Amino acid sequence: MKPAPTLSAAFLESAGQSLPKALLDLRKQRGTALVDMPLPTRKTENWKYSSKYLKLTDEMASSLPSQGKALTGQEVPGYRIVFLNGVIQPEASKFPQADGIRIASFRDLDDQEAAELADQLDNTLDDKAVQLARLNAARFEDGLLIRLKPDAVLDQPLFVIHEVTADASGSAFPRIFIDAGRHSQATLVEEYRSSGSEPVMVNTVTEFQLADGANITNLRLTMEGENVQHIGATGVRQQRNARFESHTVGFGGPLRRHDLQVRLEGEGGECKLNGVVVTQGKQHYDNHTTIEHVAAHCNSEETYRNIAADQSHAVFNGRIHIHQDAQKSNADMNNKNLLLSNGAEIDTKPELEIYADDVKCAHGATIGQLDEISLFYLVSRGIARREANVLLTMAFINELVEQIPLETVRETAHTRLNQFFDQTFQEV
Amino acid sequence: MLSIKNLHASVEGKEILKGINLEIKAGEVHAIMGPNGSGKSTLSQVLAGNEAFEVTEGEVTLNGENLLDLETEERAREGIFLAFQYPVEIPGVSNLQFLRTAVNAMRTHRGEEEMNAAEFMKLAKEVSKQVDLDPSFLKRGVNEGFSGGEKKRNEIMQALLLQPKLAILDETDSGLDIDALKVVSDGVNALRSEDRAILMVTHYQRLLNHIVPDYVHVLAGGRIIKSGGRELALELEEKGYGWLGIKDEETADSAAN
Repeated sequence: MKPAPTLSAAFLESAGQSLPKALLDLRKQRGTALVDMPLPTRKTENWKYSSKYLKLTDEMASSLPSQGKALTGQEVPGYRIVFLNGVIQPEASKFPQADGIRIASFRDLDDQEAAELADQLDNTLDDKAVQLARLNAARFEDGLLIRLKPDAVLDQPLFVIHEVTADASGSAFPRIFIDAGRHSQATLVEEYRSSGSEPVMVNTVTEFQLADGANITNLRLTMEGENVQHIGATGVRQQRNARFESHTVGFGGPLRRHDLQVRLEGEGGECKLNGVVVTQGKQHYDNHTTIEHVAAHCNSEETYRNIAADQSHAVFNGRIHIHQDAQKSNADMNNKNLLLSNGAEIDTKPELEIYADDVKCAHGATIGQLDEISLFYLVSRGIARREANVLLTMAFINELVEQIPLETVRETAHTRLNQFFDQTFQEV
Repeated sequence: MLSIKNLHASVEGKEILKGINLEIKAGEVHAIMGPNGSGKSTLSQVLAGNEAFEVTEGEVTLNGENLLDLETEERAREGIFLAFQYPVEIPGVSNLQFLRTAVNAMRTHRGEEEMNAAEFMKLAKEVSKQVDLDPSFLKRGVNEGFSGGEKKRNEIMQALLLQPKLAILDETDSGLDIDALKVVSDGVNALRSEDRAILMVTHYQRLLNHIVPDYVHVLAGGRIIKSGGRELALELEEKGYGWLGIKDEETADSAAN
């Protein structure tokens, strides 16, 4: 029998030393744990539909250059942090300065702050479940720390632009850590983009620690090019009455994988997870979400929609785990899927594990095609077939796009969706 | 305007229309009556271009142009409008967006400028009043959660906005109470003009009290078996389809009750 493939040692030879010592130590320790790490294969349950899309070459093991001209000149209605190939570019960024709010590059932390952070990192994600995203902890060269003191309110949204320049093969390992104090509030936008055409990997981890009553909104736009493999993980831990809301809009690539794990650990916690994914050509996109109802009286609401065109492939795996003590949990998960071509494939799997007896837990998953009768109705009014297809496809996700709480993000999503429609529905 | 010659059509291999002949001139209102299953709705769908129905023989021309060669959307742009018996609900597409897209598709086809959102809103509000639909219906999804009567009024509203050359009304009276029937009929009567034709498909003659046809045709077994003036409908009303030797389950049922 062929031995299972393992992570090439090249991926564990980290170069940059520009971090405070406590973080370098953490990175080293995490790297040691990954020696000979088996790579996911078809037999790895949570990678079974995606392992064949994973292509890690030794060339991709090198870090992409941390300096260069960031494409990002765009104005955003809020604060802006630019990561270029995983490293924050202070001159392209606009950091908020306010009492009770500390937002800084990992590289700029003093020893005490770094030591405190090193203790907090990597406590939100289930290592066994995220596998490849663990590589981030062994390789990150910078990161964004966001600390909100109790009652602190970030007055404007914080836009984090993650850009990779794929002029040569390599990888980037951006990282964000948010410690939201009691009753603090913030909106964080993560936008992933790329330039260049060499095969690269973006391996990204974002962690949220929400203290009692904290209220955090996270928007995530995955829009890198056709040469970018994206492996991302988001971990969230919520204490009493904390609220977390996420809106993901993802466009496919050679491999897009996002693990989103939310733990409701205090009573009265609430999370709302929305996701829209579109794929075309031979693209692949895989969303794995987990909601852990650890404490009683928490609500979770999850709505994901996939649209797959051409020969593309989308995966949704939604797990809800209601622990024994999590009585009066209220969980609602819904995943609808639209196939735009006979060659497209969507795999969806709701997974419910319920150990408490007094809970409300609803789930639904559907897969369908555009409705012929609706299409006939629209074209019978003189509407072009292409336009009718776009209207019906947009109708499938409109509700979720409209719920995105920032207009500029909605506009970006619409612009990219229109490109998707242009390529998917040809003029007739 | 519309000329149908020896039209045969089938669905899933089963022949429904077995040689329809019909001439409709501009300005005329024709009613096609017939029992359930006679092919009335099939005729409407075939004229509008539903690909679920296959035309196996015959020809249809609209102002001399071969209609059967045209795609559904091209037929609409040439002036064919079908008011659906069962208007489709499309959540996620607002009625306003749908109507404006349709109107602008027609305008573009005619070489006219598209209407902007504000201009169209003004027009749509006026027309919605004409069919007694609250303008709030414009913001809702297409037919989403509309009652039967509201759906039919939305159909007539579309006809008024699109100003077709030939309006085909498929069982537009079904499911309407007497007040809604009046509103819908007023809308249809507002469509009547010298350069427009109307083809009404109906089971019952009560609609014809409100929209008085110039000609009435009886369709049975996929063929028109009798044509006449308005009085033919009244005669049918009085004597039932059985009078023409047609078996009509619905009529038979209601007689039995």
